[in-house]
Amino acid sequence: MIRTLLENNMQWASARVRAEPDFFRRLSAQQAPEYLWIGCSDSRVPANEIVGLDPGELFVHRNIANLAPPRDMNFLAVLQFSIEVLKVRHIIVCGHYGCGGVRAALDTQRRGLIDHWLQPVADLAHRHEDHLKEIADFDTRVNVACEHNVRAQVEYLGHNPFVADAWRRGQKLAIHGWIYSIRDGLLRDLDLSVERSRDVDRLASRAWFPDG
Amino acid sequence: MDNSGEFKPIERIPHDLLREPLIWFFAEHYRHRDVCARLMALSQSVIFDEAAMRDVYVFLDQDLPLHVIDEEDDLFPLLRRRCEPDDQIEKVLGMLSAEHANDMMDAGAVKSLVARALAEQRGLASFVEARSIIEPFCQQQKRHIAVENAVVLPIARHRLNEADLISLGQRLAARRGLDNPFTDAA
Repeated sequence: MIRTLLENNMQWASARVRAEPDFFRRLSAQQAPEYLWIGCSDSRVPANEIVGLDPGELFVHRNIANLAPPRDMNFLAVLQFSIEVLKVRHIIVCGHYGCGGVRAALDTQRRGLIDHWLQPVADLAHRHEDHLKEIADFDTRVNVACEHNVRAQVEYLGHNPFVADAWRRGQKLAIHGWIYSIRDGLLRDLDLSVERSRDVDRLASRAWFPDG
Repeated sequence: MDNSGEFKPIERIPHDLLREPLIWFFAEHYRHRDVCARLMALSQSVIFDEAAMRDVYVFLDQDLPLHVIDEEDDLFPLLRRRCEPDDQIEKVLGMLSAEHANDMMDAGAVKSLVARALAEQRGLASFVEARSIIEPFCQQQKRHIAVENAVVLPIARHRLNEADLISLGQRLAARRGLDNPFTDAA
């Protein structure tokens, strides 16, 4: 029932005030998150909750398959605002195993507009088709592609002009690639962190598969 | 049950081993073999051994799925990132992942059978299908474990670094609701 959500909200706000009387006054005074989270829209991956951060501590952008598309105005506005106004120190691209968006990009079924949104993932999978098809189990193939998709977004971000300008100005800004498993609630660091243009070049030259 | 007729539960893995996650995997594989031996014995007996059946049921219901996550969402992805072309790991991991998917389906059939036996208080051998469900499952498990012990874990020992092993041990613990094994208190 929709009313339950409003009732839950009242209980949540009341519990927060009981735990910390100044919580909302402090929160409304300013927003100074250190992190920008780029994650999937999947309802099972609640950004703040899985990293144990309170409201106000994480600036969040979510879309299907956690993409950082270089021509998406919504995403670019979030990115510029978070870097230039909020001055976040870390950008986290977080994918998740079993992502339905990545799965959809890997199969041949037509779904409409979403196929266009997922085109970058499909293109990535196509580029690595020879390797991916060696993985017999489709679920595993999807999971490997989920990791690759995170890496691709870290690389896109590393080449984004807002990010490049921030680094040129000497602004401290690191980009990280993580993956989450819905099956155990745990995050994995994919060792993709970059904090300068040189790191991005090094990452781009790294092999995508154990055999090249 | 052992030779004395006394029921001995499936051995638990000491939590200290979480500090050496690859040894933990070997120990877990040892338990899988033990469970298969118990299942085979149960499948040949008409005696209703409730404690032994419940023990095996809990293992299939809780421990086995966790172990599959340990490998599928943790160890195998780590190996994919760390292995060198010479390791030729992808084909082996691809095969094992496909087997995991089948294992979970086969384990489901075994679990259903054990659940029925528990509900009807009958020995497993009194079900005509017991042998055809349990024997292939156990044989497949043994083959699967043999490949992991002989190929995957030795490569992991060679390729994973100290930080990998620490994070792996921490996640094995967290997945089971246990404290971080690398803190002083642990």
